[in-house]
Amino acid sequence: MAPEAPFDFVFAGRVYRAQPGDTIASALARNGVRVISRSFKYHRPRGLLCAAGHCPNCLVQVGDEPNVRACMRPVEPEMIVEPQNAWPSLGFDLMAAVGWLERFLPVGFYYKAFIRPRRLWPWFERFLRRAAGLGRVNLATPPGDYVKQYLHADVVVIGGGRSGLRSAIAAATAGADVVLFDENPTLGGRLNYSGDETAAAERAALLARVAALPNLRCYTQATVLGWFEDHWLPVSQGNRLWKVRAKAVIVATGAYEQPLLFANNDLPGIMLAGAVRRLLHQHRVKPGERAVVVTNHDEGWAVAAELLAAGVTVAALADERHPTPAILSADLPTVPIFWGHTVVRAEGRASLRRVWLAPLTVDGRPGAPLQTIPCDLLVIAAGSTPANGLLYQAGARIAYHDETGQFVVAELPPGVFAVGRVTGWEEDQAAEVGRQAAAFALDQHTAPDLPSHGTRSLPAPCYRPTPGKAFVCLCEDVTAKDIAMAVAEGFDSLELVKRYATVTMGPCQGKMCAVASIHLTAAATGRSPAATGVTTARPPLTPVPLGVLAGQPMEPLRRTPVDEWHRRHGAHMMVAGLWQRPEHYGDPLAEVKAVREAVGLIDVSTLGKLRLTGPGVPAFLDRLYTTRLGDLPVGRVRYGLMGNDEGVILDDGVTARLDEQEWYITTTTGNAEAIYEWMQWWAQAGWGEGVHITDVTDDFAAFNLAGPRARAVLQALTTADVGNTAFPYLHVRQLELAGVPCRVLRIGFTGELSYEIHCPAGFGPYLWETILAAGAEFGMRPFGVEAQRVLRLEKAHLIIGQDTDAMSDPLSAGMAWAVKFDKPDFLGRRSLLRVRAQGLRQRLVGFEVLTPGVTPEEGLQIVQTDGNGRPTIIGWITSSRYSPTLGKAIGLCWLPAELAARPGTPFTIHREAGPVQARVHHGPFYDPTGARLRS
Amino acid sequence: MLLLPCPNCGPRNVAEFRYGGEMHPRPPAPEAVDDEAWTDFIYMRANKAGRHREWWYHHRGCGLWFLAERDTTTNTILRTYLPAQPHGS
Amino acid sequence: MWRHHDLAPSYDVVIIGGGVHGLACAYYLAQDHGITNVAVLDKSYIGAGGSGRNTTILRSNYLTPEGVVFYDESLKLYSQMAEEFDFNVLFSRRGHLTLAHTDGAVRTMRRRAEVNRLQGVESWLIGPNEIKRLCPALDVSEHPRYPILAALYHPPGSIIRHDAVVWGYAAQADRRGVHIHQHTTVTGIRTANGRVTGVETTRGFIKTGAVLNATAGWATTIADMVGVRLPIVTYPLQACVSEPLKPFLDVIVVSGSLHVYVSQSDRGELVMGAAVDPFASYSLRGSLAFAEGIAGHMLELFPALRHVRMLRQWAGLCDMTPDYSPIMGLTPVEGFFLDVGWGTYGFKAGPISGRCLAELIATGHTPPLIFPFRLARFYERDLVGEKGAASVGH
Repeated sequence: MAPEAPFDFVFAGRVYRAQPGDTIASALARNGVRVISRSFKYHRPRGLLCAAGHCPNCLVQVGDEPNVRACMRPVEPEMIVEPQNAWPSLGFDLMAAVGWLERFLPVGFYYKAFIRPRRLWPWFERFLRRAAGLGRVNLATPPGDYVKQYLHADVVVIGGGRSGLRSAIAAATAGADVVLFDENPTLGGRLNYSGDETAAAERAALLARVAALPNLRCYTQATVLGWFEDHWLPVSQGNRLWKVRAKAVIVATGAYEQPLLFANNDLPGIMLAGAVRRLLHQHRVKPGERAVVVTNHDEGWAVAAELLAAGVTVAALADERHPTPAILSADLPTVPIFWGHTVVRAEGRASLRRVWLAPLTVDGRPGAPLQTIPCDLLVIAAGSTPANGLLYQAGARIAYHDETGQFVVAELPPGVFAVGRVTGWEEDQAAEVGRQAAAFALDQHTAPDLPSHGTRSLPAPCYRPTPGKAFVCLCEDVTAKDIAMAVAEGFDSLELVKRYATVTMGPCQGKMCAVASIHLTAAATGRSPAATGVTTARPPLTPVPLGVLAGQPMEPLRRTPVDEWHRRHGAHMMVAGLWQRPEHYGDPLAEVKAVREAVGLIDVSTLGKLRLTGPGVPAFLDRLYTTRLGDLPVGRVRYGLMGNDEGVILDDGVTARLDEQEWYITTTTGNAEAIYEWMQWWAQAGWGEGVHITDVTDDFAAFNLAGPRARAVLQALTTADVGNTAFPYLHVRQLELAGVPCRVLRIGFTGELSYEIHCPAGFGPYLWETILAAGAEFGMRPFGVEAQRVLRLEKAHLIIGQDTDAMSDPLSAGMAWAVKFDKPDFLGRRSLLRVRAQGLRQRLVGFEVLTPGVTPEEGLQIVQTDGNGRPTIIGWITSSRYSPTLGKAIGLCWLPAELAARPGTPFTIHREAGPVQARVHHGPFYDPTGARLRS
Repeated sequence: MLLLPCPNCGPRNVAEFRYGGEMHPRPPAPEAVDDEAWTDFIYMRANKAGRHREWWYHHRGCGLWFLAERDTTTNTILRTYLPAQPHGS
Repeated sequence: MWRHHDLAPSYDVVIIGGGVHGLACAYYLAQDHGITNVAVLDKSYIGAGGSGRNTTILRSNYLTPEGVVFYDESLKLYSQMAEEFDFNVLFSRRGHLTLAHTDGAVRTMRRRAEVNRLQGVESWLIGPNEIKRLCPALDVSEHPRYPILAALYHPPGSIIRHDAVVWGYAAQADRRGVHIHQHTTVTGIRTANGRVTGVETTRGFIKTGAVLNATAGWATTIADMVGVRLPIVTYPLQACVSEPLKPFLDVIVVSGSLHVYVSQSDRGELVMGAAVDPFASYSLRGSLAFAEGIAGHMLELFPALRHVRMLRQWAGLCDMTPDYSPIMGLTPVEGFFLDVGWGTYGFKAGPISGRCLAELIATGHTPPLIFPFRLARFYERDLVGEKGAASVGH
């Protein structure tokens, strides 16, 4: 609810009264507060300059929020506003002493300072770092609410000023679906504060027409942040990010008024004409008591008149032009007019006290100062530059006109239109352009559009740097002299000047200073502004909070059907890609023991699962896998290893043939999507004749029932015969377990008699609990990933991605048995033949630890020490655990092939606490013949 | 962002697709290729700055693999199409 | 700082690429080997490419022993640079944290720590409490999706003013007689009988017998001129910067799972980067997806930063290789040398690469430090796999 009566707020520890509708800046101005901030480097006092959110002068801290533009933020009751970058107070900032050292701190001073003695640099640097920065982050900032929404339109108009509104109305009238964005609270742009009745009437008429068009939607306080390919526009509006797709875009973003370059041009009390008008007409605040106006076009005269009408004394008007009959000084009979003059100096301590005017000589340079005029307000109406960042981003070609000194649109890409002052001209054909944009969006071809071209150029600023501190870049405190010095030092192109002097690199990103920088660099290098070029316009066009860009956190978390049971039963959960899995239920070693001696149950629902059907599947699988799968009989199961043409291992899993043309394949957790995509590639590449693939990962829950008593448990759940003859190792059966239709695969990752039970996901929780109940009398325990890791390690089974990496081949990884070279062609065959011929360099092999009482951590390195006692890395530990079954520490490691070749070869593992001795082990550590699997 | 016209689904946000790399045909008979040529196939790429042909996969969509002709310096998509015949690569 | 010259009709060595790699090579050719008749050519202003667009992180906590030793040499050169050049490059030792969010990541971090320490580089694994102490802004509380389990802490990790490094090398090379030619585009390279004879540019032809390709984003384009095939695919890499803030982040923080790395510069701005773009391109436009993604991931790690504003985003080009290691040294064309394939880790290697390539060009012998990175390694099947240690390799 917007306040309707005056209210209080706090700034710099003092209470002030605000009126409804005030921004923080207008409320401060209303209370006569002129100094709002301190500048970045010299800590000079700064006040309102543009009142349009473009310059850095009014950045304040509002509660947790740093770097808030006071001129754009509505003030609220009880709001706590703090100045930034000033200590101990805004009025008395100790760091302002830096300003006295200004002579020693020219542009780039830090590149030439603090070099020796070297050990003192960190100390200096600490001081530099502490002095840097503007706003403050509160590390206890509570979370916020953000929203993102999509929006589609035929035509998007950016800018709701006069031209924007007129083109939007025309486009909508022509039948297009039009959306308009304006960053201000009300539509109309400068019509809101033009100070005359015709403007107000025109605004009202335009808004009435807008309201009458149902296919024209307008969004205020909405800032378009950039232009991306195919007219994709991000728009921030409060805590909302719109993501907009348009078919055509009309850029009507207007222009930025520019400051002039003269000594102390950054004093509080120096304002651009637009700021003065906003204060006068939108907020009814007198910006000062005694003003001087500097101008180079007729608008300046109008502003002077408006000041007079508001009761402000206008002590002088300096018009940089020479008198023409069109302008009558009788318009301002009480104001001393100085034709052909400009301002060359401002003076004051904390704010403006007086200005110096000088005549412009024949070559356009200021002559000897003539007039000192006391004043507390200097109004600059001396030129603007188009706010054309969006046009640059959209690929427009912008040209510099030497005659007018203005940047104008020369060429626009298809679908991009421009109206109003952003084109560099005063007049425009907004309505005509609106119609063209609509025609383009609606696919009604028109002749190629010529950019809107008026006859009156947007008045351009003229830069005549004076002696003294003439600030070009207010954000970084860079003066005109600094730019000249940079060029003199050899940084003689615009980009180098920018990077060396840091001009345009601050919060305003060049809105106030890019054009001045171009002119100054041009002058210093003896080139034309056109030849000097421009710096790159980049998004975001207005700084945007990370929260708005991020939106609500949306990180998917995948849970198995049995997830809730795990948590209720004390599972310690772990992250496995997108999934959550139980790591253990409190005692992983007991879980290992249970599987070895009784029976255990693990939830492996996270496995990827693919269904392949069709007559072409056998040949297809034989080409994709290194193993032979095509001849798998119905009812059988086989391990599958998948590689790529480089010979690198991609994935492994188990393949079951359920029927002649029905195959069921598992992949490692989290990999189903990637393997599905990979399979689709080869299928669509021509190998997929008679092959149909479906990702059924989420359709099935899966559990591994493992241990010597597994059969007893299984038999208790079904009437089918699951004896060893009826259901041998490496077979698959479709069984009903406790009434649930399941496919059961007899495989053996853990090395015990085990059954991998896959059931429809919806039955998961029921079946899990039923199996556990049936297993209770057999001593069944649920087990987690940690126990499984130990169990598989005891069998020397590798885990892809842990024991292998993105460059491991199956031969080096000890999986030669899984590579069937006699198959005609499969992915990796050619490369692996070469590997085999070249011989292995490194091998993945098992090891047993000899040093008692130590289980080396995974990741430790294996070293050989040379004659000088210096260790060289020769391998590393990929898996390592203490095996309760065997009573010793075992693992897998990579070693040079010669060392890995002989079992029993000793080697040394490097460990901070002392070296660990180990020796090579071949094959499974437990049940090497696999008798328990087949039992 | 970029609109990529899927031959099945029409123009969709490029975020729906996964990039499949430049068109790079697999030798139909890998054993017939010498080691250097095979290494070139596995690792070397044209990486053209300009117009080239490349693969895309409609990951969050219809699952189609298709070709695009794109100018890599401007990201202008000239056309998207299905390969004339199974390409074996 | 550096002078303008007319293009001489010939040079002993022509270096294509005026970034840190090319300029460093020119400097060391002059400084270490007395070879000064050298031209460095750049199609834009010096440092316009990767050298001016990176996120200025220097570190040596890599995965392979070859990589660790190599990057550490570079880090040493960086730390001495200000004194050597009498130009403050604002080298700032911050400490570097690579967060581990899964047990697999913890394993990789431990592996990196071990490899690092065995090469004499400071790195070790630390837990959440220690992480919080070093970086109070990080959220180390329970997080279902991205718990912070541990981090690889690398105290020598530093940041630096990247432009100053370019300017420092340029000034020093210039002082020793090297000619730096900006805004000079190479349009062709002439060869005869399998060796380089000269370089064609937009400003004329240069006769030379030694050409170094020290470009990023243009490596293939240049190599194509002599018919050398490269295993490179070029991807844009985007980065962004925030508005200046009072200092609160002392260390450099990287998260592989969240694809984000961030540091706070001496100017108070947060400098942030992420993974390469999802598809290959030479366009430097950038995308909204990057801005959204990095903001989201930053706030996962630092939820208190939601009010911090992004000020500017930009992009550079990264030449990605199959093993995430560079390509340096000789090619089948005599006199044509490579210092390319730098992916997302080129800036930190500038000094040592320049020094080693200078040695190779001057003496004809490949320094052992860069031998592992030869182009021939792909044909010999001897790749140097650094995917586990490139900041956001996966």
